[in-house]
Amino acid sequence: MQQLNPSEISEIIQNRIQGLDVKAEAQNEGTIVSVSDGIVRIHGLQDAQYGEMIEFDGGLYGMALNLERDSVGVVILGDYEDLTEGMTARCTGRILEVPVGPELLGRVVDSLGNPIDGKGPITASQTAPIEKVAPGVIARQSVDQPVQIGLKCVDAMVPIGRGQRELIIADRQIGKTAIAIDAIINQKRTGIKCIYVAIGQKMSTISNIVATLEEYGAMEYTTVVAASASDPAPMQFISAYSGCSMGEYFRDNGEDALIIYDDLTKQAWAYRQISLLLKRPPGREAYPGDVFYLHSRLLERAARVNAEYVENHTNGAVKGQTGSLTALPVIETQAGDISAFVPTNVISITDGQIFLETENFNSGLRPAMNPGTSVSRVGGSAQVPFMKKISGGIKLALAQYRELAAFSQFASDLDDATRRQLEHGERVTELMKQKQYSPMSVAEMGTVLFAANEGYLEDVEVNKVLDFEAALLSFMRSEYTDFMNDIDENGTYNDDVVATLKEGIEKFKATQTY
Amino acid sequence: MAELATIARPYANAAFDIAKQEGSLDHWSKMLMVVDATRQHETVQVLLDSPDMPSNAKAFRLAEICGEELDDRGKKFLQALADHDRLGLVGEIRAQFEALRAEEEKSLDVEVVSAYEMSDAQTQSLKSALSTKFDKDISIETSVDSTLIGGAVIRAGDVVIDGSVRGKLNKLAETLSL
Repeated sequence: MQQLNPSEISEIIQNRIQGLDVKAEAQNEGTIVSVSDGIVRIHGLQDAQYGEMIEFDGGLYGMALNLERDSVGVVILGDYEDLTEGMTARCTGRILEVPVGPELLGRVVDSLGNPIDGKGPITASQTAPIEKVAPGVIARQSVDQPVQIGLKCVDAMVPIGRGQRELIIADRQIGKTAIAIDAIINQKRTGIKCIYVAIGQKMSTISNIVATLEEYGAMEYTTVVAASASDPAPMQFISAYSGCSMGEYFRDNGEDALIIYDDLTKQAWAYRQISLLLKRPPGREAYPGDVFYLHSRLLERAARVNAEYVENHTNGAVKGQTGSLTALPVIETQAGDISAFVPTNVISITDGQIFLETENFNSGLRPAMNPGTSVSRVGGSAQVPFMKKISGGIKLALAQYRELAAFSQFASDLDDATRRQLEHGERVTELMKQKQYSPMSVAEMGTVLFAANEGYLEDVEVNKVLDFEAALLSFMRSEYTDFMNDIDENGTYNDDVVATLKEGIEKFKATQTY
Repeated sequence: MAELATIARPYANAAFDIAKQEGSLDHWSKMLMVVDATRQHETVQVLLDSPDMPSNAKAFRLAEICGEELDDRGKKFLQALADHDRLGLVGEIRAQFEALRAEEEKSLDVEVVSAYEMSDAQTQSLKSALSTKFDKDISIETSVDSTLIGGAVIRAGDVVIDGSVRGKLNKLAETLSL
């Protein structure tokens, strides 16, 4: 805990008193006619706008969501226990806003941007409305820079580009969040700012995640927006939009940001709750009619914008810089059912998905990604040349392996070529395993994948593959430091690189130290 | 309340349209007031709430009690309400009728609550200021509430202008507790 500085406090109070506006202004006022489960109906409030903040006695706020002829339906952002019928409510004329800016990095905030980490007030000078229209066609630029996740399987097979939306989808407890956290940790060297939006999770889980991020030094460039399971449904519903506005600040100022919505299933549940309580007609799976729009308008805001847009936005302060907001939404399926309503919606909105499978997870393949059904529709053009060349062989090997895997039980009856493919596939599959919190750099991933492609793993036993990998990497790091650093920086791929790699791996194999 | 308002709207509109056509807004106003007041009487309420009496009979009785104050149209209006079992809506219909009438006649009822008794001159200047602001004929109803500490609160329909010391103190408290 920080020490409280007395002079600081009285200064804050002075500023607040000076900033206080006590002019008597005409306000639109209404009366609460019913209070039910976080929804109040208000009679009056003729001037209320959609999404406007409504102020109640005692500094409590709500958001107007239903504008009807004789009443306004308002969801309460906070504790609604104190509200009673007959109390007054006032229009504020403001749409819901949250603080944005670099001051939020390293902080844990709630859906309204209030700090909940006990590190004192946030001194952000800017605010942004939580609902904004996504940049149009003219403002956009195609995705051609990578976001390295640091996981071999993801970066090789489903590469993600800056400004892309890549869905992480799986059942509970399969490692969806683990991928997201690894992605954040790996941005330490890339300068990408991260926003982690925790929706409907346990507070204990959220605090574990924050502790993990702090441990790996990732909190410095990360904001955590927490709407826990005990927060009211409206807070869980708006948290995704709040986080998005915080991420958009970086995008619009010519920087790159990564936002993780963990998870959108729970956000859809919260929205379903609100909608049903507001008496909007239920549709499929009791979701309201606009549940697709709920996610499409959110994910559309993740984009890469061109330099002109950034220049206009910053009034010329930032020139020649493109900005991006990459989104990794997470969806939890029930018993692997990806044809449920929300999963199909989000699959169709995003630019690809990472499928994690229970079967893989249980057989010890972690990350439990299914390379067949996981795709990235735009990330390929964002891969660095080095990874692009090398990953092609990996995808092919795994595809062939999947076709033949059914025959693996009859290994003794198979012809040589098939058997060799099977064995190669087994090794590549084994190589896709990676421990949590140990992201790899481009050069490291490339080196081991290259070794697999070129058949250097053939005489390594399957259960020794990961030991081989670790030993090979420490050898390359110590003997070929400059070469590895150069690849990490430039990612070039040419005959010299291939020759050096071959030479290094052969030298290493000669030492027989794995 | 909100739902009642929706149901009452067509009845209020119908009554208002007839009254306007006939130029008898005042008369209708009075009729609705009488019916509403009668309806609120304890004995009448028991009668209206009794389940073993058909709706039409209730309307007939209600009209009887109101006696001369109701003309033919008024009685028919009550029957129309009874046909749809909406006799309970009279209060809401009256409120909406008055609102429509105020709109038509460009008048506005303003409620002023002040910390201290206002002088006539003060009331007059407030009245003229409000009539320029709202562009309507203002009729002011004043009352005193010493808990405001100082100043006054003006309430005109949905619009509230809080110029009281209590309101300012509340604002200060909210600013400091953020």
